[in-house]
Amino acid sequence: MSFPFEIYVIQATHGVVYGMLLFLVASGLTLVFGMMGVLNLAHASFYMLGAYFAYSVTLYSGNFWLSLLISPLIVGTIGILVERFLLRKTYKIGHTAELLLTFGLFFVFGELVRIVWGTIPFSIPVPTLFAGDVPFMGRTYPIYRFFILGFSLLLLLGMALMLMRTRIGIIIRSAVSDAEMVGALGTNVPIVFLGVFGGGAALAAIAGVIAAPFLSIYLGMGGDVLIDCFVVIVVGGFGSLPGALIASLMIGELQSFGILWIPRLALVFQFLLMAIVLIIKPTGLFGEKE
Amino acid sequence: MSHPRAYQLGFGIAVSVFFLLVPFLLPEIGIHLAIEVLIYALFAVSFNILFGYCGMLPFGHAAFFGAGGYAVALILKNFPGTPLLLAFLLAALLALGIGAFIGFFCVRLSGAYFSLISIASQMFLFAVALKWRSVTSGDDGMTFARPELHLPILGEISMRDVVNIYYFTLTVVAVAILVCYLFLKTPLGNSFVSIREQERRASFLGYNVYLTKLAAFSASSILAGVAGGLFAFFQAFVGTSFIDLNMSMSVVVMTVIGGKAYFLGPVLGSAFYIVFQDWMSSLTNYWMIVVGITFIVIVLYAEGGLISLLKNERVRLWASRLNK
Repeated sequence: MSFPFEIYVIQATHGVVYGMLLFLVASGLTLVFGMMGVLNLAHASFYMLGAYFAYSVTLYSGNFWLSLLISPLIVGTIGILVERFLLRKTYKIGHTAELLLTFGLFFVFGELVRIVWGTIPFSIPVPTLFAGDVPFMGRTYPIYRFFILGFSLLLLLGMALMLMRTRIGIIIRSAVSDAEMVGALGTNVPIVFLGVFGGGAALAAIAGVIAAPFLSIYLGMGGDVLIDCFVVIVVGGFGSLPGALIASLMIGELQSFGILWIPRLALVFQFLLMAIVLIIKPTGLFGEKE
Repeated sequence: MSHPRAYQLGFGIAVSVFFLLVPFLLPEIGIHLAIEVLIYALFAVSFNILFGYCGMLPFGHAAFFGAGGYAVALILKNFPGTPLLLAFLLAALLALGIGAFIGFFCVRLSGAYFSLISIASQMFLFAVALKWRSVTSGDDGMTFARPELHLPILGEISMRDVVNIYYFTLTVVAVAILVCYLFLKTPLGNSFVSIREQERRASFLGYNVYLTKLAAFSASSILAGVAGGLFAFFQAFVGTSFIDLNMSMSVVVMTVIGGKAYFLGPVLGSAFYIVFQDWMSSLTNYWMIVVGITFIVIVLYAEGGLISLLKNERVRLWASRLNK
């Protein structure tokens, strides 16, 4: 099966765009897992809530950019409340209880969204600033996807700078490798973790907001992205941000080209990839922790 | 209260008599519910072999439920002459095969890793069921005709009548649950618990942790497969809803709500879930949120689930005072 060259480039760009979105969601998930060993299934709900809040804010204010500000703030606050008042109770009970709790929250958030917004899928218009197409490789390509690409690269850069160049970044990175030791050295790890949890939730919400204009907003969106995120953090390695980035891009490309070449099996590929990585190297490509 | 054995025995007899008399006590819709309760009870008990006894949390247990369901449906649809019990035997064998294959790779992993690969394998099978349209009819699902059951003494039993389906289901589930109970009482069954409590110590004592877990995983998949087969048979239909994430989720919810620490906890959970769902969904569209919140409260405050509340002396005392 062969396609003209520009199809490959366009398909690859699609893959990168989706991969970057996935990375925004997965990065919070992988940091939280790295720090506290909590696999937060409710993380995908934050992505979904982000998109739904974006819909409501855009509907009432008519301004997409306002929703890009407000929605992550609301969702980040929800994240902080969840960690402080629910998740923190489970650390004493054990990892199974954490998994079960976040699973229950995923369930409850999904139902809440169904109650508040109903089951009809929504879409929000692409902001006028980035509406339309640009010529790209002899064809046209929506500007908005380039915006997603640029914006998420910007966030990635910001995150990298924060983690590598600031004091709080050092604390987070060292807490990922050994939270107990960091605590023993006098850092208030629970507070840092609370911040990372809230920040991760806000990042997931940002991904939800910027994804909203080009993917529609629907009830199953959390579950869909959750499964992709699992694949990402397993393949990339739990707790590893570079791993999450590379794995996100891999999954993005895999889906994008999978749909191009073998549409029937596109769904299957990523689970095969995940299973193979778990079997051969359970710590993932970049992970060190077991 | 001074004779807990007598108390248990009396309770057991009361429950058995109730289940035997269901077709006389309940209207037809109630019999349907009772069948669902029984099937999900078996599914949840199979899940609890891994969750409660081995301390492993498979988030994708519907893989085997679905495998059993598809196996029964495909056999009865494509080979209508197959004896019913043979179809179930083959379904159990298929579930065992898939379970042993998946288990071969995934019981090595623990904690969240195990849960994740369990989801991955379930989603993989889901994708196969969805996309392999020529065999599974994809998301349309398949309907088939229920054959008669041939028994040595009783002769031919029609499976059109819901009462007969009920007694068939009751028999299969009761036998399967009894076998499972006895299995968990064997030394092998006890070693599941020792591995859950102290994996390293168990392996120093000479237990082969890997093989033990694999045995638990395989046994659990057989029972889940039988449950799925029964459900397909009851509905005379199989579809992707048998093998999707929701199915995996509901068995987690049932088991946790019922209580993982007791053998019959999941049975109680399944009864609660199905009856509650039926009752609440007639009142409101939003019953799921009540289930979700109950689930969270139980995870946070009552680790033993509903059954531990029943077993709690203080609660019993309180209940007996209410009865006066």
